[in-house]
Amino acid sequence: MTPRLHPFTTLTLAACAAGVTTAAAYWPLSVAVALAAVALAARRGVAGRVLTAGAVILTPLCLSLLVLHGLFFPEGQTVLAQWGPARVTAEGLGFALELGTRTTACVLVFLLFSFTVSVPDLVSALAGRRIPPQFGFVLASTLTLLPAVAGRLDRIRQAQETRGMVVGRGLLSRLGALRLQMVPLVLALIDDAGSRAQALDARGFGSPGPRTSYREVADPPAQRLFRAAVLVLAAAAVARRIVASWPAGVPS
Amino acid sequence: MTATTRTALQIRIEAFTFHGEDTPVLTDTALSVTPGSLTAVLGGSGSGKSTLGKLLAGWLRAGHAGQFRGSLELGGTVLEFRGVPDDPRINPAEWSRRVAFVPQDAAAMLSSVRATVAEELAFGLENRATAREDMLRAVERTAARTGLSRLLDRDPATLSGGELRRLAVGCAVITEPDVLILDEPLASLDAAGAAQVEDLVRSLRGTGTGVVLLSQAADRFAGEATHWTILDAQTALDGGTVTAAGTPAQLAGSAELERAGVIGPHGPGGIGSGAVGSAGSGVAAGGRRPGPVPAAAPGPAPASLELRGVGFGYARDPRLPGTGAQDRVLRDVDFAVRPGEIIAVTGPNGAGKSTLLRHFNGLLRPTEGDVLVCGRSIAGVPVGKVAASMGLLFQHPRDQLFERTVLREAAFGLRQLFGKAGAEARSRAALAEVGLSGTEEAHPAELSASQQRLLALATVLAREPAVLALDEPTVGLDRHGLEALQGAVGRAAARGAAVAMVTHDLEYARRNAHRVLELSGGSLRDI
Amino acid sequence: MSQPALTITAPGQAAGRRRRLLEIAGAAAIAATYVFLVLTQPADIANGPASFSALVALGGFLLGAVLLIVAVLPALPTSTVVLIPVALVLNVVLGQLMGSTGLPFYIDAIGTVLIAVLAGPAAGAATGALSSIVWSFFNPTVLPFAAGAALIGFLAGMAARGGLFRRFYLAPVAGFVTGILAGVVSAPIAAFVFGGTSGLGTGAIVSAFRAMGDTLLAAITKQALISDPMDKAIVFTIAALLAYALPRRTTFQFPFVRRYRVLAGKAPAAPDA
Repeated sequence: MTPRLHPFTTLTLAACAAGVTTAAAYWPLSVAVALAAVALAARRGVAGRVLTAGAVILTPLCLSLLVLHGLFFPEGQTVLAQWGPARVTAEGLGFALELGTRTTACVLVFLLFSFTVSVPDLVSALAGRRIPPQFGFVLASTLTLLPAVAGRLDRIRQAQETRGMVVGRGLLSRLGALRLQMVPLVLALIDDAGSRAQALDARGFGSPGPRTSYREVADPPAQRLFRAAVLVLAAAAVARRIVASWPAGVPS
Repeated sequence: MTATTRTALQIRIEAFTFHGEDTPVLTDTALSVTPGSLTAVLGGSGSGKSTLGKLLAGWLRAGHAGQFRGSLELGGTVLEFRGVPDDPRINPAEWSRRVAFVPQDAAAMLSSVRATVAEELAFGLENRATAREDMLRAVERTAARTGLSRLLDRDPATLSGGELRRLAVGCAVITEPDVLILDEPLASLDAAGAAQVEDLVRSLRGTGTGVVLLSQAADRFAGEATHWTILDAQTALDGGTVTAAGTPAQLAGSAELERAGVIGPHGPGGIGSGAVGSAGSGVAAGGRRPGPVPAAAPGPAPASLELRGVGFGYARDPRLPGTGAQDRVLRDVDFAVRPGEIIAVTGPNGAGKSTLLRHFNGLLRPTEGDVLVCGRSIAGVPVGKVAASMGLLFQHPRDQLFERTVLREAAFGLRQLFGKAGAEARSRAALAEVGLSGTEEAHPAELSASQQRLLALATVLAREPAVLALDEPTVGLDRHGLEALQGAVGRAAARGAAVAMVTHDLEYARRNAHRVLELSGGSLRDI
Repeated sequence: MSQPALTITAPGQAAGRRRRLLEIAGAAAIAATYVFLVLTQPADIANGPASFSALVALGGFLLGAVLLIVAVLPALPTSTVVLIPVALVLNVVLGQLMGSTGLPFYIDAIGTVLIAVLAGPAAGAATGALSSIVWSFFNPTVLPFAAGAALIGFLAGMAARGGLFRRFYLAPVAGFVTGILAGVVSAPIAAFVFGGTSGLGTGAIVSAFRAMGDTLLAAITKQALISDPMDKAIVFTIAALLAYALPRRTTFQFPFVRRYRVLAGKAPAAPDA
């Protein structure tokens, strides 16, 4: 097994890669970052999940960009084809390519982070950095709740069908059925949250003051140094880009 | 800690009212706990036991959760509450470190954000900034005490019911409280799990911890108590109050205990005369019947519910190798219930009882064989349509209830069948049938757990189904609830409904069914 | 370790002032970013995407959202903190359920609005921002919209405080207004960070405005003014329906609901403590 990276190291890398890609807005770099993310995902064995999740998010976005800028780009000069109001311009296609690849790269990089990070390690690391413990709680609790809610919704549906609910094809019938499913779900979730709040308060979660951590997450000095270096380099690259593209008309 | 007869914790409640409600949930109640004692608070569903426990432990706090008039005393500190804004405010973290509470739903105790049992145990210590070495020692000690030592690296979400409850107790006692309050600690535990919890309580008492047991059953465990307090609600929607207090010897078999709806030492099976008897099926009422019950009223009438050669297996994980017979949950099951007949299916946990029940109305479809309701196959018929002749009552009523008032709940879907006036008359009759008259305008979620199950039963009865199927009917019901259930089921059978129930309680099954079948190895046999 | 007391005193004012400053800073960061983006929007995007505007939009809005979270989160009572994951899950699950009915709206803020109605504007804003940040774990494209989500939660809370949920017909009106503001604030993100919208339907509306010669920001703002108010009116209506379907014991446990008499119905029997 390769030595584990601290959650902050991978988070820093992901954020810097996304930041630099956004700042550069240069499609060959975006493609390279996206490919690198996929290669790393394949090495960690999560390529399938990263690509599936990425496809669900990116397919409609990229198609929308292609239609929008490919057909309607009033600023475009080089007209390749024209049907009525729709004009295919080279600039429009280029713009769609730039933005599509840039977003793809950022999404894949962050998905790679979230599918490889150990959430308990991340929560523990966050708690150790004077970040409000409530933040780690919300993150981890959401990840526990999601599968539980899916199961609960299934039970509610079964129970209601058992009581004679037939869901028809019409919109009104489906909306009616939906209302009946939402009420027990919301009620149960809010009730459970109420008793969890009592339990958490009783176990000292609500009191202010310092905390300690049972879980130990190794953070070798080399990784701290590496993170600092990556941050400085990324900040320098972004700053250079901002200076270069400082818009005219804004006093600098 | 010196184990003297000094009082560790004392509460006196004039009244406690939740915000937004008019009637108090608890009035004129007092309780005191001494070190090393076991105090049992006994009462039916809705008597305010859990509210009392949470008030004692700082889970419900004056002003924060409701209006509290009374006083609390812990280790010499006396707090007086008059229900005004400048009442003292309890610090929940510090109060609960000394008075720990374990809720009935053990999962509610867990933080839901810790990945292993060890980290979950340590959660309360982390929040109090305990040094890591002390935490490691405390986790090890508590795990040994609660029998969790081999489970420390497991994900809490994968624990069994018994393990989960021991973890919840572990989370409560890791701060070494002076008083431990347990809400229905033995509910839904098997014999081995219950014995472990009882042993744990004995060892805690040995080290001077005062233990309070909240229970709706005066069972063997409650019999070990040094003191009993009986809580009872005057009417269906009223709050609870103390009707009697004393030693178990003074109160066992008392009228107050029975009136409060507390289940006796023999469990649900020991209650009432049994549905079969009260339905007038020819069996002498009362007493324990030896041997098999003679088949009652149903003669050669066609079966209301029939399973023919039903086989079923859950879809296997395709990545797992092997195709063994152990994947079949049901194998060639033949089963028929005739009008007026009550049949019980028993079997250990995991034998497939719930799977069998879900075949009755098509929630699960058989891989082989056929299911017939009123003589017609239900293959391809939507569950919602089968429901017209098949009433099924689940274990957890909360998923089944969704309306704003009890009356609307019972009348749901009846209007299309019986018209407006007919729907209201039928739903009122069904509510009366299960003893819920007078609660028509209440919100279903504000009923007690026992009443919620009865309401779910009423929604089923209002449709007058040809078949009534019950999943673990005794779970969560207090004595009044059990009696109402038995009466309603018995009368439904007398009217000609076929009743099939699934229960782990063999004693209850024997006393309330014409026939008892056992499900084991995927097939049914008479016992 | 000194023996902590069994009782606590009311929270002090000093910490409150620091938090108020952070809140104002967060809101100011969001407002300044928006004004800056509108004033300096690149007139000519033909030479490639506006990476400068994208960086300012991302940086300014995220900074504002983080400041708001840092200001609000530690002050929230535990009973509200535990509702934030619930809101997030409801946003996702109820959004999916509504999607299954085939209505052409995204309906992804029901949980946020419900929590804002029960626990107030601060909780609503924190819920909106946090749910964007946590949800970006699964869908990174929602991260830049954290400020818009915070605004929705905050406005829903203000509407509840102003009694707009006491009359049933007022809830969709409040949603409509919230949708206008939230749509306008989020438009620069869609324009400069993503260069368009994520749906084909909304993309078609933007295309229509572009065909008439609008700038990208103007076209997306106009599209947002068409879709968002309707969407938020529906969301507010559903949240109101749910709030009224809950039992009083559940809704009245929230001090915000009791203090501002958020929901119609008789006043609580017990005086507020």
